[in-house]
Amino acid sequence: MNDVYINGLGAFLPGVPVTNDDMEDCLGLVFGKPSKYRSLSLKQNRIKARHYALDKQGNPLHSSSGMAAAAIHAALKNSETALQNIDYLATSATLGDGLVPGLASHVHAALGVEEIEIANFQSVCASALMAIKSAYMQLKAGEHNCAAVSGSEFASRYFRPGNYECVEAYAKTREIPFQADFLRFTLSDGAGAAVLETKPNSRQISLKIHWIDIRSHAHRFEACMVGGVAKGDEGWRYWGGFGDPLAAAKAGALILIQDFDLMKRMLPVWVSHYLDLIDKGRIVIDEIDYVCSHYSSHGLREEIIVLLTQAGAMIDERKWFTNLYTKGNTGAASIFIMLEELYREGNLKKGDKILCHVPESGRCLNGFMLLEVA
Amino acid sequence: MADSQTQAVMRGLIKIWTDFSSELDTVPLIDKLLRGKFRIEDYRQLLVNHRQQVIEGSRWIARAASSVTGEYAEQRALFLKHAVAEHRDYKMLEANYVSVGGKLEDITHAEKNIGTEALHAFMYQRASDPNPFDLLGAMFIIEGLGQKKAGGWGSLIKKQLSLEDGQVSFLLYHSANDEDHMRQFETTLASGILGIAGMDRKIVKTAKIVGRLYRLQLEEMGSV
Repeated sequence: MNDVYINGLGAFLPGVPVTNDDMEDCLGLVFGKPSKYRSLSLKQNRIKARHYALDKQGNPLHSSSGMAAAAIHAALKNSETALQNIDYLATSATLGDGLVPGLASHVHAALGVEEIEIANFQSVCASALMAIKSAYMQLKAGEHNCAAVSGSEFASRYFRPGNYECVEAYAKTREIPFQADFLRFTLSDGAGAAVLETKPNSRQISLKIHWIDIRSHAHRFEACMVGGVAKGDEGWRYWGGFGDPLAAAKAGALILIQDFDLMKRMLPVWVSHYLDLIDKGRIVIDEIDYVCSHYSSHGLREEIIVLLTQAGAMIDERKWFTNLYTKGNTGAASIFIMLEELYREGNLKKGDKILCHVPESGRCLNGFMLLEVA
Repeated sequence: MADSQTQAVMRGLIKIWTDFSSELDTVPLIDKLLRGKFRIEDYRQLLVNHRQQVIEGSRWIARAASSVTGEYAEQRALFLKHAVAEHRDYKMLEANYVSVGGKLEDITHAEKNIGTEALHAFMYQRASDPNPFDLLGAMFIIEGLGQKKAGGWGSLIKKQLSLEDGQVSFLLYHSANDEDHMRQFETTLASGILGIAGMDRKIVKTAKIVGRLYRLQLEEMGSV
């Protein structure tokens, strides 16, 4: 079995950083008025700046596949390898550009590399770890020698007013609910990528992948963050079953929604996964130098901190590294964008261990990855 | 800072708790509550089935206290304190039942459901063993229910059935002062009982058994 190293990291963040006050210039005003939940959402997610792949009229300036390819090119530029050496590509995203075919095909086309094997991962944030794990296993098993992995999101296009104004229930009150509006002020656009090889860099540090552990708890939880389905009293109705896409849109089946009560119930399950990895000896608390979590420490309630401390599992908050507050929550791209900045800042030294954590509220999924600076 | 053995037991208990807690949400009665479809008769049934558990609760704790030998007198006090606190609870539960149209004699004469039978048979058996500190695992689960689940259920029931606080006070009252209990629990765990051979594993296993039997009790509502 080969050892596998992340040898290059890249990020692509479209346009200029958009501050909290300027968000609605890009996203637009739903029903012609400022959002009722903007400040509440921003207070909760604490994000200060983000990027949008839209111009001020709401026209797309990029595509998800184009941003992914740009991030892979950036990662290659930071690596000691070159585009023609890539023989495996894994992409991840919450939503691609079109419905068919998968995003990976479009990213491959945009990359401009010869024929390669590709794989497409679509879920929510944790799809990033699925993609990294597939590349890790491919290289570990000796199937390929050099892989590119991307995470890319273009969420803002689905947050424009027209998406909501056609929903009959919203049009009646000329309001959109918090569970839909919160996501408008939380998710934003961008792409990140990593280049993986079976040997470390010779002139600069690499990040050796020790393991990736992903667990789904969907058998015990309802879907929590959903799109493409209307949840009604009679059960679920998928967007394709309305007979006509306009009817699906009117019923709200095309809106992205987050169920907050359900999300709170998922947190202990994620904590439990973490404790299990400690018990199995995969995570040794004292050895961890950095925690890159897609979940902020602010979200951990006091009682969980008490529990983690009693369980000998709390990692000092000074070891937590995040750029969610300045680069935005870019879903599947976030973990790459975080690692890219951590690497670029230049403080990493050989032997440092980085614990990456990507939870996904979609239908209760949780993943950890352990890296070591080599 | 607790020692590593205590920390490992805490990790085991938290893992068992989270499994138990998310499994509980799939029990038909709780699932119905979480879906917003609870009926007043569901609430009455929950109270009737719960009363036996509450009454029996103070009894097994008292039994456990009496099984503690002299060298662990300090720890015995924890059991005794719990027995006293739990003892008054069923009065509140009965009052809640009557306030939603139930008859007092119906709840006082109700038979234990088959899950409750299994749960208490197990508890009594364990409580009769000398120094049954593995029942701390049971307390972790049952206390956790009170502190982390009951309040949420109480609020949902109150909202769905348009009730007053006084009609769901048993469930609401249990969700208070979480951290103190947790600290007290940890202190007991770290007080030397883990020096008893195999006790660390036994505490976690007992928590697992009690969680499973507790779920059985909720699954078997009205099954007598």
